[in-house]
Amino acid sequence: MYSAEVQGILSKLGINVGDSISVALGSDFQEGILMPRSGAGDSSILIIKRKDGYNIGIRYRAGMRIEKTASGKPEFSFPSSGVAQGPGLPKISMIYTGGTIGSKVDYSTGGVYMLTKPEELLHEVPELGGIANVNISNLMSIASEDMTYIEWAKIAEETAKALNGGARGVVITHGTDTMHYTSAALSFMLKGLNSPVVITGSQRSSDRGSSDAFYNLICSCIAATRSDVAEVSICMHSSSSDDKNNLIRGTKARKMHTSRRDAFKPVNNHPICTIDEHGMIEYISEYRHALDKPKDRVSAITGFEPKVALLKAYPNSDPAIIDYYVNKGYKGIIIEGTGLGHVPSAPSIAGLSWIGGVKAAVDSGVVVGITSQCLYGRANKSVYRNLRLLSDAGAVHCEDMLPEVAYVKLGFLIGNYGMEGAAKMLTTNIAGEITARTEFDFPVG
Amino acid sequence: MMHDKEYYSKLGFKCGLEIHQRLATAEKLFCKCSTNAQGDLVIARVERRQRAVAGEMGRIDRSTSFESSRGRKFVYSVFNMSSCLVDIDEEPPHEVNREAVETALMFASAFGASVPDEIEPMRKEVVDGSDPSAFQRSMMVAYGGEISAGNSRIPITSIFLEEESSGIERTEGNTVFYSIDRIGVPLIEIDTAPSISTPEEAKAVALAIGSALRLTGKKGEHGISGGAMRGIGTIRQDVNVSISGGTRVEIKGLQEVELMDLFIENEVERQRRLIEIQKKLKSRGAEVSRMPKDVTSLLSKASGKVISGALSSGGIALAALLGGFSGLLGEEINPGRRLGSEISDYAKMAGVNGIIHSDEDLSKYGIGESLRLEINNAIGALSSDAFIIIVAEKAACSAAIEFALSRARMSLSEVPPETRSVADTKLGTTRFMRPLPGGSRMYPETDSTPIGVSREYYESIKKQTVYPSERIERLNSDINNRQIAGQMAMSPKLQLYEYITSKVKGVNLVVATTLLEKMKELERSGAATETDRGVLVEIFNKYASGKITKAAIGEILRLSPKSPDAVDLIIKEHSLAKMTKEQLIREVKSIESSGGKDIIKEIMSKHRLNVDGDELSAIIGVGK
Repeated sequence: MYSAEVQGILSKLGINVGDSISVALGSDFQEGILMPRSGAGDSSILIIKRKDGYNIGIRYRAGMRIEKTASGKPEFSFPSSGVAQGPGLPKISMIYTGGTIGSKVDYSTGGVYMLTKPEELLHEVPELGGIANVNISNLMSIASEDMTYIEWAKIAEETAKALNGGARGVVITHGTDTMHYTSAALSFMLKGLNSPVVITGSQRSSDRGSSDAFYNLICSCIAATRSDVAEVSICMHSSSSDDKNNLIRGTKARKMHTSRRDAFKPVNNHPICTIDEHGMIEYISEYRHALDKPKDRVSAITGFEPKVALLKAYPNSDPAIIDYYVNKGYKGIIIEGTGLGHVPSAPSIAGLSWIGGVKAAVDSGVVVGITSQCLYGRANKSVYRNLRLLSDAGAVHCEDMLPEVAYVKLGFLIGNYGMEGAAKMLTTNIAGEITARTEFDFPVG
Repeated sequence: MMHDKEYYSKLGFKCGLEIHQRLATAEKLFCKCSTNAQGDLVIARVERRQRAVAGEMGRIDRSTSFESSRGRKFVYSVFNMSSCLVDIDEEPPHEVNREAVETALMFASAFGASVPDEIEPMRKEVVDGSDPSAFQRSMMVAYGGEISAGNSRIPITSIFLEEESSGIERTEGNTVFYSIDRIGVPLIEIDTAPSISTPEEAKAVALAIGSALRLTGKKGEHGISGGAMRGIGTIRQDVNVSISGGTRVEIKGLQEVELMDLFIENEVERQRRLIEIQKKLKSRGAEVSRMPKDVTSLLSKASGKVISGALSSGGIALAALLGGFSGLLGEEINPGRRLGSEISDYAKMAGVNGIIHSDEDLSKYGIGESLRLEINNAIGALSSDAFIIIVAEKAACSAAIEFALSRARMSLSEVPPETRSVADTKLGTTRFMRPLPGGSRMYPETDSTPIGVSREYYESIKKQTVYPSERIERLNSDINNRQIAGQMAMSPKLQLYEYITSKVKGVNLVVATTLLEKMKELERSGAATETDRGVLVEIFNKYASGKITKAAIGEILRLSPKSPDAVDLIIKEHSLAKMTKEQLIREVKSIESSGGKDIIKEIMSKHRLNVDGDELSAIIGVGK
């Protein structure tokens, strides 16, 4: 906001943000609406919105005449709107958690920030009213980089509640950065799932006319309303075009680009299906089908052990990091190894071998899982001698599981089934996270 | 039909200009892509949708909401070198291009404008697809200042720095194809106050601004570099026109400034006629129906191909009553344009071919008198009423008739505020493009940070700037020929001239005439189209140091050396070196001794390209 000096002058003149003012110094004259000052610029510069809509910055200077010409409304909000209602259409729940999909300008930083009223999203996508009867649940407004297992549990519980309450499906809007962690967590946590649970978000904020949010919301609602995919999935653009979305298994998805719309890719997997805005669903691979008469209600198994670490092995890396976590009482460690799942095993620099550290960790009861930083392909425990050393030390190779998924899974397993159960179940497929066969045409990249 | 100043003043004529000029920077405004797309290849096509969103103040602008309602699809050609993820809206903008900011400030100083202390990058929402991000990044860099044209001085209200939009390739039904190679090229927009008093004055002001943009330059180690890109399409003029009782209408994209006055005269006339029609409609108590009627089965009796073709491919026909409009739809408001054309323009926005209206000769559609009566009966039209009909695919037809009726309704109460584009260049007529945008479409560009402009920074830019008067003065004294200097000032080759003469001294007039005349001649004949500036420097160096004659310059250019090194080779291979004084004396003596009479003529006919005529005259002692 404005500097104390400027704020003082404005207060003395009875001027608030949103008022129309004129500013004159010598022959220079500007008039318009006084806008909030974002943290990004100089706080002694007044931001004035001219009649043509442009903002300009005018520094407060001694001798400057500032006058209030009209009072304005101090709040800057989107038009209010009702919740989309499609009478006779399937009922679905939309759980809002935050992220770019509902972002608009934030005057404290000048960047974008999440909406507090998710209904505003529906105002901009009236098509949703023709797809489903959408019930909005404003669960939280959190950037995805700030998500923790506490939020995963809340989302899982809210989802189970919605489904048990009769929702045909659930759409969860989420920030994209850690969307694939949440999708993995929900995949493990939701037991007895018999409906589509679709997570979506956007790479371009919904305050711009080109946002991918609109297309993603439409396709996600179609997936939740019309598909029989009884799994947790991510629904985002399949290419840079607004012409088709992928529905990707929640345990096989990864954000592979910082900014593109099609950042999410299935890894070691095909998309379950593609969906377009006209409702065309094209099934591509095997998935869990919803049953006509589900046996159970959906339950949320939300235990999670936070003392699990995700480490990366790389040239020159110091294995003392393992001791650090063991000493802090960690119960599980997932290592992102190189290639087939290597860690430095006999480097020329003494003390940089990870084998001893891994063995000591396992011996002290910690579950150690090995994944690959290649992401594509399967970890192996026996091709090379060094792999055998690691395996002999007691580390478990996690097949074709993504490192992040293995991390979430281990926390979930320890949290709900204890150490022994976790060690046993880590390499057993629970929610599609491990495939038996590495198919030739799983696309790379 | 030229009118005088008084005529326009009585009409309450108001006119202001918006001049858009691309800047000659190497890179785009918010990314590192090249601004030169020549020879670039399309590597992908991307399809997108856009919709209207609220601006910073929470309101949706009328222009964007209109475009959004058209529900069109956009396909973008993505290029290899001249576009990147920023251009296709897949990556946040990079840091603003400082060269572009400084060039814009340089121009601001040329108009004597003031600059804000902080430039705030904004998003100007545009959902017609011309920008993949659905907005154009734009920032106000200056305000105030003025331009003189003849005796008039017109205030400059604002100067903007913004991104160029993409170029339209074609439209197919509801899909528009764009190229994004030029998107993001920095552009400066100069807006004048609406105080221009006649169409001719508008033209003079446009020419004066254009010339100021061409002639303002920056001092650098390679001479003066101009800030404005040159060539076709690099400058565009938008004109804002209104008269009392009318409204502000913006005519967009006039590329030929010569025709500007004609377009303005026509716009004045159009508004005048629309106001007259409005009065007539009012006195008749005219009304526009809200309920279009399906007349598909009636129209299936029409024998014309247009109607039967559309109906046989599954289309429908909708008709609507315009009560009290009889005769007025056909009233001419501009050459070849009627109120009917205005309504038709709106209908076309839904992707239909146009409308049929009752003031037209309906027989060309195969609608005879009896069918006309049946239509009248069906919709309840009397002889004082008119009707419009649209025949098209169902969804498009319903949308189109709504657009058309909304325009018909406006004719009862106002001249609608519109952005219009050129309909016919020769006739100087325009057509509806979209509603005139307002301030609601502006939004802060949250992906970039404000640009501070200290007073010292602006002063330092002013110091490096060469202003038009100074540049012309310098040309006059360097070339020492007012006519050639004047031509050079207006020429697209000005920057090349300044580069060469910063490298080669003492031959300014020859450089100027070569660039203005010889090069033009060679370019016209197809030889030597794009000569490398290093090659030109080498050639003029040879001339300045007496290695070649002036006549040989054109010959070397005709042989178009590809690199500076090739110049020597061409001189040798084609014997283009200048004769030394000794060789010349020997040649003169040999002709004298063989009894030659007209020595100059004989030598020049043999060695035209190798002999300097003045030197020859001096040797044989015949002064001019």
